[in-house]
Amino acid sequence: MRMLPLVSLALLALSPAAFATGDAAAGKAKSAVCAACHGADGNTPIDANTPKLAGQHEDYLAKVLRDYRSGARANAIMGAQAGNLKDQDIDDLAAYYAAQKGDLKEIPQH
Amino acid sequence: MSRLLISLLALAASGLALDAHAAGNAEAGKKRAYTCTGCHGIPGYKNTYPMYSVPRIAGQSETYLVNALNAYKKGERKHATMSAQAMSFSDQDIADIAAYLSTAK
Repeated sequence: MRMLPLVSLALLALSPAAFATGDAAAGKAKSAVCAACHGADGNTPIDANTPKLAGQHEDYLAKVLRDYRSGARANAIMGAQAGNLKDQDIDDLAAYYAAQKGDLKEIPQH
Repeated sequence: MSRLLISLLALAASGLALDAHAAGNAEAGKKRAYTCTGCHGIPGYKNTYPMYSVPRIAGQSETYLVNALNAYKKGERKHATMSAQAMSFSDQDIADIAAYLSTAK
């Protein structure tokens, strides 16, 4: 089939998006500074002002960290933290916290 | 116990009472939060343009939810749908919704 190389090429191009790029184990190793406020498990923040992260959607966490890094979402503490993160760090941290068990869930249907 | 200490304790207690009064009512919040379930109650629901998962907010920290809704209301946090929703809420609505969501089982 003459189309095969083209199809393979297209699949290759898609694969980075199709597979999660974050490494949860690497994210755990980078999470010490996050744990200071969000809790070691990501589910026991230091106060009610600080969000729980455990079990949040991976792509949402990654988006939020990128928004803090760019300043699209303004927060003094998170802006400073996210400013130090590379794309891979963000993806790793998002993978780690998304994989933790916590209280977060969808709103129960009424 | 000195009178001063008693007065101070009474003052502290009245401060706490005010705080408790401003706190949200989870029952009222549950009614208000019906609209929220349209996106935040559907597993796997996605925001579009850009595409990302709508966050899980049930079980979230109460004050964080209050702050998030106020930030949308004031335009400090930008999201067309969330701003439109938040602008329709009073301070009491926001407190009630946060009280419900943070404890939703």
